[in-house]
Amino acid sequence: MTSVIPLPVAIPLIVAAFIALTGHWVGRRFSDALAIATSGVTLWATVVILRGVWLQPVTYWFGNWWPRNNHVALGICFTIDGIGAVIAVLVASLTLAGLIFAWRLFEDTENHFQPLMLIFMAAMCGFSYTGDLFNLFVFFELMSVAAFALCGLKTLEPAPLQGAYNFAIVNTVGAFMIVLGIGLLYARTGALNFAQIGQSLGSHADALVLLASLLISVGFMGKAAIVPFHFWLADAHAVAPSPVCVLFSGVMVELGIYAVARVYWTIFHGALTVHIGALREIFLIAAALTAVVGGFMCYAEHHLKRLLAFSTISHTGLMLAGLGLFAPKALGGFVLYALSHGVIKGGLFLCAGIVLHRLRKIGEDHLHGRGKGMWPTAALFLLGAWGLSGCYPFGTLLGESMISESASSLHQGWLNYLFMFVEFITAAAVLRVTFRIFFGWGEPAPTDEASSVEERGETKQEDETPIVMLVPAAALILTGVAFLMVPGLRSVAEASATRFTDQGTYVQTVLENHTPPSPKLMPSESLSSSLLRSSIAGILALLLAVGTVFRNRLGRALNFTRRLELGSPSLRQLHSGHPGDYVAWLSAGAAVLGGSFFWFLR
Amino acid sequence: MILHVPYFIAAWIFLWGLYGIVTSKNLVHQVICVAVLQTSTYVLLLSVGYRAGGTAPVFADIPVGTPVVDPLVQALMLTDIVVEATVAALLLSMVVKANELANTVDPDELRILTG
Repeated sequence: MTSVIPLPVAIPLIVAAFIALTGHWVGRRFSDALAIATSGVTLWATVVILRGVWLQPVTYWFGNWWPRNNHVALGICFTIDGIGAVIAVLVASLTLAGLIFAWRLFEDTENHFQPLMLIFMAAMCGFSYTGDLFNLFVFFELMSVAAFALCGLKTLEPAPLQGAYNFAIVNTVGAFMIVLGIGLLYARTGALNFAQIGQSLGSHADALVLLASLLISVGFMGKAAIVPFHFWLADAHAVAPSPVCVLFSGVMVELGIYAVARVYWTIFHGALTVHIGALREIFLIAAALTAVVGGFMCYAEHHLKRLLAFSTISHTGLMLAGLGLFAPKALGGFVLYALSHGVIKGGLFLCAGIVLHRLRKIGEDHLHGRGKGMWPTAALFLLGAWGLSGCYPFGTLLGESMISESASSLHQGWLNYLFMFVEFITAAAVLRVTFRIFFGWGEPAPTDEASSVEERGETKQEDETPIVMLVPAAALILTGVAFLMVPGLRSVAEASATRFTDQGTYVQTVLENHTPPSPKLMPSESLSSSLLRSSIAGILALLLAVGTVFRNRLGRALNFTRRLELGSPSLRQLHSGHPGDYVAWLSAGAAVLGGSFFWFLR
Repeated sequence: MILHVPYFIAAWIFLWGLYGIVTSKNLVHQVICVAVLQTSTYVLLLSVGYRAGGTAPVFADIPVGTPVVDPLVQALMLTDIVVEATVAALLLSMVVKANELANTVDPDELRILTG
């Protein structure tokens, strides 16, 4: 297994260089096939790694530079545990689905889609495996640059350029905050290895440690699209090609939260553990804000991809709550939620790509009733909405139940209502779209500025949905169901998360090559309370969607749905599409977060 | 106190870069402001590695035991420069394309994506 560890990063990078060099001569189809084969091999490698490390983390030292003298780490290592490994599997699966979907995409061969996708995949795998802080930054930048380029791939229109530009500016400012934070930590500890930094910091927290933790958290939370750092996300998703959106929403955003968790539990936990109550409050407020703003904006959108993008923001709020409870069980819940949300949202974005492919439009108002007869896509949309509501039998239910159980035991029971709200409103939005586009129910949606952004079709129009488009979408959404079929998944997630959050054991594993006993698997509680809550959310979502679509026929009592659907004008105006405004929000958010760090953690 | 000056300078440059990005009326100007903001990371990394009286960390022709500045932060900075060069090139190419398509480099006039 050890010899496989570098492969998920090395193979895609080499093949990407090969395709970029020879793609011009060998032709489009060969490059496509090669890229699909490469992501398949990467998927195999990540699964092999996951099987090797799911309970017992493994450290791989590049060039055999393991820490010899006094356990000081000089080399660079991958420290792979269950959580990092399973996220890499998600990365490889989503890339594979995206590349297969793209078989019929893009008429012009003169773009660098396949090499960029492979670089993106390699960077995200490295990001989830690495055990070195600066390496984390390098992979972060590699994935960011590949993402900027992928986002602006359709350079023949102004909108993709603007989306990619906003995305790049906001994330680059965040990346430099991360560098500053890393510089400060290096100044204090003289180390870059997670375990080494954590060991050197010990339990001593002063202004420098707080500032470093603030800068690093803000940088990664910018990637994770936490309000008010989220503005770039909707613009980027609205214009990126559909297979790219799959990776953005399915895993890149979640990796932002993963990085905050990794850095907190390996570096800052010892120093900040006395302040954990205050930290919990701060992170949970940010999570609630993200979930609520994302939810309302999601229902107010009529541009299909923007709607899904805001739904991602809303769900990211829930995932941040999984991190922000600072408990192993909630962290395990975050991972399960991220996995099942990733495949479901990925599948929904591919469905949006099918709609764009067949109907040449992406605005709900232009598409009313035009999707009649596309029943496989309609069915997938319904299943996706079902999955977003967290109802049985989707994997989102497992993640939700773990986070809410952990929340109840920490006296944060209000999070249950937050979950219900997000599941209710995001599922209702997708159901509303399905009813209008595919069933042609009710009146056409109100027109808004965002939904009329023209998007050139990514392909030639066809009267049939190509099978290579339908299969990846269906496979992704159905994988969301498969999580519930795996026995004991919650116990495994909790055990991995317990290991993830154990700083002392982490230091021993990395620096002293010590193998602690594998954690015991605890039986998990019954799902009944989550089952009840998410079923209520699902039913309410159905009622809201039906009420919105048929409000003119059902009476005046439903006029509130119109207001809900139009959204708050002032909130929408904040999403101005102006990169300067977005960076101003980033700075303001960082200032508020910094202020609360220094106020509560004095 | 004098040793802390570089850190204040780094914060100063960072904040001016941020101010420039937020208030910019020209996308080319804005990209350059990102580059300015980034120089703050160079200043910070260099001052982290500085040692009083230290020389360049080239060990070939200095006596053993000579104090040198930290070579590792210089390696970090080099990586940082490469990253910034890539990002700036990508951003500027987007600005060129935007100018070709929309005939403007003013972010206020380029608002296609809103709400």
